[in-house]
Amino acid sequence: MKEGGLKPYLLILPLAFVLAFITYSMAETIYLSFFEVSYLNPFYKKFVGLGNYLWLFTHPSPTRPYILDWLTRSLIWVASSVSVKVLIGLGGALILNEEFKGRGIFRALTVAPWAIPWAMAAMMWAWVYNNQYGILDSILMHIDKYTGLFKALGIKLPLAFIGLPLPSFISCLIADIWAGVPFMTMVFLAGLQAIPQELYDAAMIDGASSFQKFRHVTLPQLSPIIMVASLFSIVWTFNSFDFIWILTQGGPLHATETLPIAIYNVAFRWLRVGGLGKGAALSVIQIAIVSTVIYFYMKLLRRG
Amino acid sequence: MRRSYLRSALIYLSALLFLFYLHLPTYQMLLTALQPWDEFIKHVPPLLYPSHITLINFINMFKVVPELPTYLMNSFIYGTGVGLLSILAAIPSSYSLARFKFKGKEAILALIIYANMLSPIMLIVPIYRFMRVLNLVNTYYSVILAGSIFTTPFCTWLLTSYLRGLPREIEEAAMIDGCSTSKIILHIVIPLSAPAIVTSFIYAFITGWSQQFILALVLIQRDELMPVTQGLYMFFARSSVRWAELMSAILVSTLIPLAMFMVVQKSLVRGLTAGALKG
Repeated sequence: MKEGGLKPYLLILPLAFVLAFITYSMAETIYLSFFEVSYLNPFYKKFVGLGNYLWLFTHPSPTRPYILDWLTRSLIWVASSVSVKVLIGLGGALILNEEFKGRGIFRALTVAPWAIPWAMAAMMWAWVYNNQYGILDSILMHIDKYTGLFKALGIKLPLAFIGLPLPSFISCLIADIWAGVPFMTMVFLAGLQAIPQELYDAAMIDGASSFQKFRHVTLPQLSPIIMVASLFSIVWTFNSFDFIWILTQGGPLHATETLPIAIYNVAFRWLRVGGLGKGAALSVIQIAIVSTVIYFYMKLLRRG
Repeated sequence: MRRSYLRSALIYLSALLFLFYLHLPTYQMLLTALQPWDEFIKHVPPLLYPSHITLINFINMFKVVPELPTYLMNSFIYGTGVGLLSILAAIPSSYSLARFKFKGKEAILALIIYANMLSPIMLIVPIYRFMRVLNLVNTYYSVILAGSIFTTPFCTWLLTSYLRGLPREIEEAAMIDGCSTSKIILHIVIPLSAPAIVTSFIYAFITGWSQQFILALVLIQRDELMPVTQGLYMFFARSSVRWAELMSAILVSTLIPLAMFMVVQKSLVRGLTAGALKG
């Protein structure tokens, strides 16, 4: 490593420009959150002080959501999505860590969904959930045809996966989890493969069962990676936009309106006047939350 | 012996369940795209396997979505633009980070990790206003410039860690021979780090091709400039969806990023997972 005088600074200019733009954008977001600005004419702006924030916190009617609705929904969204992503990812990694015929194909099929653009995947999921021809209902109806299971339970098919508030939320969740599983699986696989074999050998000598090995060797060895990957995933899940937007646009009855969807709706769709400013105020909250999570994530990285 | 049979049966069963979830949407896409639509809707409930295979939907999709070639071309332009801009910024920056000691380097490394976690949705308000004020809304530049902001940090990180693992002797010898820094980068650093450059380019290309849906949604309103994700979404959002043609179009426009991803799969997956774990 050498001192290069001015040279390293000149070389890093392109990246510095990118980082400067990000810093500028954040400052601009905070600045705009104190103004009345609209997307129709962003050149005109009027200072309103804390007006935009007050708007976020006023709750004129139960039908118009406000900041606490969005925050709770985002919190439930992130908590359920990330925990299931971790569980399924861990399962996938444990499978991939075994020796079996067809493992190469299994690996390729596991990473492939990663490359499917989320917007495309969201439309594919909309088709899966379609209550006329969707494959999910088809499968259920085929099961029903042969076993009469749903008729016996009194469940009428086809089910509407999208249309009612709670099922819509769960349907969006399932699609979002789907998008995160390949990453989680590969992260955990890398972690599993880094566990020294001696630990398992020692456990074997002590007569540990498969489950005991998992509980006392695998999990403790993997837990730092689970922590880091969860924090990473929290940020991405919190920012998740494409799936919800394409599947439900935040509806029905705002049931799937998380913070990112709210930003887009408030800034660009609902309000002809002042939307951009109020959207900026929402973005400030979004940035603050995400930055806090990133702070803990980076602290954890430093330690590891 | 009996135990090991049980064990492998369990492995295959859970692997199948896992793949069922991951490939339910892809399976239905193939099922719809490769079957005549009349055949598909004839059965109630629809069959779970194709009864006839046809490629007719791939011809019809150009009639139903006549702008599809334009959309694909646009996605190609966005992907290439974001890819090129990201690696052009990342190459000198990563060389500086990997080879020199300077004040503020630690801060920049921390900022790279921070920036890598940001999503376009967080900064969409200032980005929109910035592009409006510069009159760049509804141009290729707006999406490419904004898109590169979010891909450059990861590309720089990937290249920096690759360069750190490369021996410096050749560069040092060239330096003693009086080679300029630009010559060293062009003739030594770029050829030696070509695999990492290709991986970062493909990462940024895929992201620009498709992953930055919100940017196009906000910055592009004109049909002839839409990337394929947005264009097909517009088609999807209309009241009556032609599913067979839509799924065919999605299949075609997913194959390109998928093929690129698979080419560099090993190194890209390694890079992305290490990027999340090591920072």
